[in-house]
Amino acid sequence: MKEVVVKVENISKKYQLGKSITGDLRSTFSNFFSKRKKQTASTDFWALRDISFDVHQGEVLGIIGGNGAGKSTLLKILSRITTPTEGMVEITGRVASLLEVGTGFHPELTGRENIFLNGSLLGMKKKEIVSKFDEIVDFSGVEKFIDTPVKHFSSGMYVRLAFAVAAHLEPEILIVDEVLSVGDAIFRAKSLGKMEAIAREGRTVIFVSHNLSAINSLCTRVLLIEDGRIKEDLKPKEAVSAYLYNNYKDKINYQSAYFKIAFLGESQSFLHDESVKFLIFNLDITRKVIISLIINNYQQQRLFISEKEWNPLVKKWSLKIPGNLLMEGQYFLEVNIKEPITSQFIDKGKNVLSFKIISRPPELEKYKVENLGIIRAPIIWSHG
Amino acid sequence: MSNRLAKIGVTPKLSLSLSRRIIQCSMNKHKIVFSAKQPSFYSKITEIWEYRELLWMLAWRDFRVKYAQSFLGFAWAFINPIVTLVVLSFIFGTVAKVDTAGIPHVLYTLAGLCGWTFFASLAADSGRSVLTAQGMVKKIYFPRLILPLSKTFTSLIDFGIVMLCLAILMMIYQYPPTIKLLWLPFFIFLAILAGIATGIWVSALTIRFRDFQHVMPLVLRVGMYATPVAFPASAVPEKYQLLFFFNPLAGVVEGMRWSLLGTNDFPPYIWLSLGILLFLFVSGWIYFSRMEQVIADII
Repeated sequence: MKEVVVKVENISKKYQLGKSITGDLRSTFSNFFSKRKKQTASTDFWALRDISFDVHQGEVLGIIGGNGAGKSTLLKILSRITTPTEGMVEITGRVASLLEVGTGFHPELTGRENIFLNGSLLGMKKKEIVSKFDEIVDFSGVEKFIDTPVKHFSSGMYVRLAFAVAAHLEPEILIVDEVLSVGDAIFRAKSLGKMEAIAREGRTVIFVSHNLSAINSLCTRVLLIEDGRIKEDLKPKEAVSAYLYNNYKDKINYQSAYFKIAFLGESQSFLHDESVKFLIFNLDITRKVIISLIINNYQQQRLFISEKEWNPLVKKWSLKIPGNLLMEGQYFLEVNIKEPITSQFIDKGKNVLSFKIISRPPELEKYKVENLGIIRAPIIWSHG
Repeated sequence: MSNRLAKIGVTPKLSLSLSRRIIQCSMNKHKIVFSAKQPSFYSKITEIWEYRELLWMLAWRDFRVKYAQSFLGFAWAFINPIVTLVVLSFIFGTVAKVDTAGIPHVLYTLAGLCGWTFFASLAADSGRSVLTAQGMVKKIYFPRLILPLSKTFTSLIDFGIVMLCLAILMMIYQYPPTIKLLWLPFFIFLAILAGIATGIWVSALTIRFRDFQHVMPLVLRVGMYATPVAFPASAVPEKYQLLFFFNPLAGVVEGMRWSLLGTNDFPPYIWLSLGILLFLFVSGWIYFSRMEQVIADII
């Protein structure tokens, strides 16, 4: 085993709920006096509880978990933005985190000046910035405007320049919180690329994401966090399906204000040539709507969509996904109800059902295939 | 490449040797340990020293933004103290006719303003520093004390400008400096200590109590009149003297004027001022360090 570069020991982080710590003097004084009369109830919230793990040199560690599970808090502690309430962290080597792209950019300063400012905020030495200056400018592609104040930059140029600085950091440990960067597609793609490059060089990466396919393809190990604790420490593939299973097991046989849904039959596992049957019933709608049915795989990739105009006279539909269509794996069903003309959503049910396709045709069982793809294509093999 | 580097003052040969050194630097990995426990005073100091380049960068940024971008640039830095000077010497010199022991009142007031403006601009800027940098504070780790400390540089420039005005005025009035000028660095140090001590207290307090944003300008405005800027401390009745010098700025401003103009006597109670300032600084440091632990959670 390689050397341990990040050692996390019994980390806990407490926040106080229902009581804002910032505030004005008046409320502090009144709190002070009311405390004497009766103890004000403030609820402690443990965002993280007793987290311990080691990261070894060269590992790409993914962290997944539902919203509010404590992933981002954990990263904040690792990048030292906030301190743990209990516990200890030991880090060997230089840490950089891609939370911080463009931080400290000052609109009045030129691109050149901002490279120096931002670089030193990210922990680069001035000499280091000087030596990489040309590379940074080339990478950003804003060479012509390098002596223009960045307030005149377009947002694309701004992000490119900011990212160029971060990309030329050479950390031994890279921390990426993809959840925070939602909405900026360019940046997200770029940080993924940077991460891959760093991982390939054998450096250590710690990565928080909701993008399960990225987790699956990049990480060598995954921590599943739930309610501030480490639920499981797994290989990526197992972790991803464990995460999905944990999140959605209670929603199987789902109901909403407009419909209920249930499997026809007990089992939620199906053989490869079995069709998957379920019912949509108790339709509580008095006008025409469009119902759409979406099948997602365990990486939350959409495989296909099927739509139907829904007549209010019909109160029950039974549906069948034919056999010999889907490959082995876990699948999730999404049901949306929309207005026919405006396409406005009336109801959105994500992951209302989950089912599993098991076993491949027996004659192929003995061959091990790593990546099965997503569809069971009815390819016809014939001689000559 | 060399062209571009030359603009930032580095020759190609130098940059080559530099990059070689960087490679060597990154060979020896350093280990960081952090926990719920507060780091020691000593490790804080060494850490700030490690981050000295950032300190310098932030100071340089403030300088660029403050002076290099506005239309009149440096002119504003002169206009401010001159307007204050005119108002003060009209009220205290022409109207109230304060006794300044034969020194022209304009000169007397400007020498007082030297110490005061230095302190006031440093205290105000560093007091705001953490709040205005909240974007950085929430995203990057660095010793937070760098923020208030970095304001010293621009305040020193403000100070230099007032000093320049004073030098010109001293030449006009033919008032040469005396040997007491050698004491000036000591009083500059005191003024920095006062500004920083106030600044770290206020910046830590504003994180928790936003009210201090509004309190600070008020205190500074009142403080200028409670400090012997435009009048001598000796004008204060004897029985209030000690009380008067509990304002540490009284000692700093009087002392600075004493060393600049060679006014009669060394300010009394200067050691009281120094003691109070040291106490303020140490307590401010402790409070700031405590707030530093939770800053990103509550700002």
